[in-house]
Amino acid sequence: MTLSVSSQSRARPSWLAEQSNLIGLAVIIVLFWVLFTSLAPGFVSSFNLFALSRSLAVDIVIGFSTMVVLATGGMNLAIGSIGVCAVMASGYLMQTIGLPIPVAMALALLLGAFLGWLNGFVIVRSGVNSFIITLASASLFLGGMLILSKAQTFNALPPEIAAFGRMRWGFLSPLLFVALGLGAALIVLFRFTALGREILAAGANPRAAELSGVPVGRAIIIAHTLSGALAASAGLMLVFRLGAAMPSIGQDWLLPSFLAPVLGGTLLAGGFVSVVGTILGALLVTTLRSGLLVMQVGNFWLQLFLGLILLFAVMVDRYRGVYAERRSLGRKNPRQTSGRSA
Amino acid sequence: MRLTIEGIGKDFPGVTALDNVSFEILPGETHALMGENGAGKSTLIKIITGLYRPDRGRLLVDGRPVDFHSPRDAIAAGISAVHQERNLIPRFTVGENIMIERPPTRNGVIDFDKVHAEARKFLDMIDPSIDTRTEVRHLSVAQMQIVEIAKALSLEAQVLLLDEPTASITGHEADALFAVVRRLRDEGKAIVFVSHKLEEVMAISDRVTVLRDGRIAAAGEPISRMDRGKIVSAMIGREERVAEMGTRDVDRSKTVMEAKNLATSFGHKSISFQLHKGEILGLYGLVGAGRTELARALIGDGKVVSGELRLNGQVVTIPDVPTAIRRHKLGYISEDRKAEGLILTHPIRSNIAISVWRRIASKLGLIGRAAERRVAEPLVAKLEVKTPSIEQAVGKLSGGNQQKVSIAKWLAAGVEILIIDEPTVGIDIKTKTAIHELIGEITREGVSVLLISSDMPEMITLADRILVMSDFALTGTIENSRRYEPMSREIMGFIHAGAEAGHAAAATAHG
Repeated sequence: MTLSVSSQSRARPSWLAEQSNLIGLAVIIVLFWVLFTSLAPGFVSSFNLFALSRSLAVDIVIGFSTMVVLATGGMNLAIGSIGVCAVMASGYLMQTIGLPIPVAMALALLLGAFLGWLNGFVIVRSGVNSFIITLASASLFLGGMLILSKAQTFNALPPEIAAFGRMRWGFLSPLLFVALGLGAALIVLFRFTALGREILAAGANPRAAELSGVPVGRAIIIAHTLSGALAASAGLMLVFRLGAAMPSIGQDWLLPSFLAPVLGGTLLAGGFVSVVGTILGALLVTTLRSGLLVMQVGNFWLQLFLGLILLFAVMVDRYRGVYAERRSLGRKNPRQTSGRSA
Repeated sequence: MRLTIEGIGKDFPGVTALDNVSFEILPGETHALMGENGAGKSTLIKIITGLYRPDRGRLLVDGRPVDFHSPRDAIAAGISAVHQERNLIPRFTVGENIMIERPPTRNGVIDFDKVHAEARKFLDMIDPSIDTRTEVRHLSVAQMQIVEIAKALSLEAQVLLLDEPTASITGHEADALFAVVRRLRDEGKAIVFVSHKLEEVMAISDRVTVLRDGRIAAAGEPISRMDRGKIVSAMIGREERVAEMGTRDVDRSKTVMEAKNLATSFGHKSISFQLHKGEILGLYGLVGAGRTELARALIGDGKVVSGELRLNGQVVTIPDVPTAIRRHKLGYISEDRKAEGLILTHPIRSNIAISVWRRIASKLGLIGRAAERRVAEPLVAKLEVKTPSIEQAVGKLSGGNQQKVSIAKWLAAGVEILIIDEPTVGIDIKTKTAIHELIGEITREGVSVLLISSDMPEMITLADRILVMSDFALTGTIENSRRYEPMSREIMGFIHAGAEAGHAAAATAHG
């Protein structure tokens, strides 16, 4: 096993082994689809599939928003607040100011990116944990929005908004393709760009990255900026879906935002993301929500299930972390003396 | 209490850390455990204190086999260790730290008067001057060691392991510590004294055990029958270390780095030195002397507050590490490979290419794996990194191969000056030689190296000149004659001079 490397001998762990987590997740999703379809045939009606695709789009983008920050080993608890700020800004710009839809949307996205940048800037400058900074900014952004908007819903938006929200491609919403397009862009970012690699390096080991010449502070700020822009995108998707800009958007994002990436194998400790995993994770969340709705099981049960699933996913994450460390350091469980195979 | 180590063996992937190690530790003796970095000392300590379990062999206490599953078991058996990494809680008081394992209670509530009274009792045995109500974070390193020893005594330790106790304390403090050690020994405790400082070992131990390459090179030899030369030859396996570098011919006409009266945010004062092209300039000093901090200030990971730093004749200020690397071709290899050097979960490929991501990216900022491989593969081959694949996670490599990856990273970046901090900590002796040769080779290719090490033989093997640092100041510069005895005596002389000067300065400041 100890030979110097040449380009021919690039033994890698098999593709299947690397993807085992995703395959497991996909199997669980299929099982739920079979279960829901057999219990409530309405689950696969074209109406429900359309509704499901719309909410899946939002869940995916919310998941991405948290995923890009998890990549740095941090978190962003303010995504709901950033989302609703963008929502209300877009409503104000379209309804009160009367700006064209694309301009208003672009400005709302910029606002989201700016709020994310602000989070990142404060985190890097103060050196305080992102948990506490974004907990504070979540309340700050939400409060600011409520004061400025007086919590008034903008429900006289241009009719094209609701029309786009109702649009179908086949039986799917175009919003889903927007979400998948963002996913493709994120794959390129994290796999093939210097910036994405720097964000992951900063998350895996900030000191080593810093001493290797990676501008770690900049990478963290950019990840938060991206997270803000993605949160704003998710908010705007909801504006299309609801045909209105409501101040209540975003308040129930926190749990699914963590569920999707963590279920999909993104490490909480930072340094590794899975875009496809996040999409599958979001699909599981949406499937459960939609299935329980179709089966007319109350929302309370959904909360309970999602909580259980997150706990389960975190356990798996923890186990993988311990396992990876043990393999990389060659340390066995000290209680197992037999079976010395490293 | 008699502790018998019987045929102990321990394997890690790719390396046998300990092989058939047997010796005995007796009550009422100070037993020195010696060996070079990577000889297996720390693995053995971890086995004795219950952190690791041996793969082979066993431990016996008073002739009865014991099987430790955790440090708790070892402590219960009467074995306590004072580790290099402090195990005290900084914000707790001295008394609370000493009594933390079993705080006395009254009506279910901790009885603090009794905590301090009990702690006092143990502290009085060794150093009555420390107040039990002081928070530990206000103590000096030497005082913390005393507190740890008191804590071990409170746990009724019969065997006390001191792991490099003098690594970061001054000569005076060490003398006080040795007095404590002698008193405890006379009371019948067994003291295991781990150190690589010959003078200390000769001065205070009764017997000495030497490990080399994970095996016993000398088992419990009475110190009266040993002398310096015998211990050194047991440690390194031959009479005196011959310079492995051959004669080095360094042209000192070109100065690549020059410091003039530098002061740093870490507290360095008037640091002046010159590093020539292709030279290996050693920076020797005890742990805590400020060597790593100087390196950090030089690469922009700390601030130079006054004085002048010239690179290739130009006065420069380096605001951050990326600037040091990209603009000034100045790199730093940390002594802590795992925490600061490498990204253990990422593959060899990206650990090497990380320093050049920006350079190899296309105009759109894209980098493919192929581009990274083009950078990494030739270096992996050149440095003979032993791995089944370039995609292997770096955490799975041995220490020596990890160090090669660190060096490869800087060769990829094309650095001209490389600061290497303790290059062979935790690396076995054969790979160590390979790393030494590698460092020699890169200097022949024109890289200039500032070598930080507290490993005296390594310093004398590698460096062309040696700067001695003591208490954040340079106390001397020595031309390396590559003769071990006179060199080490001269170096230690500068260190003691520095410590004395420090004491004198402190005394004047107080007076």
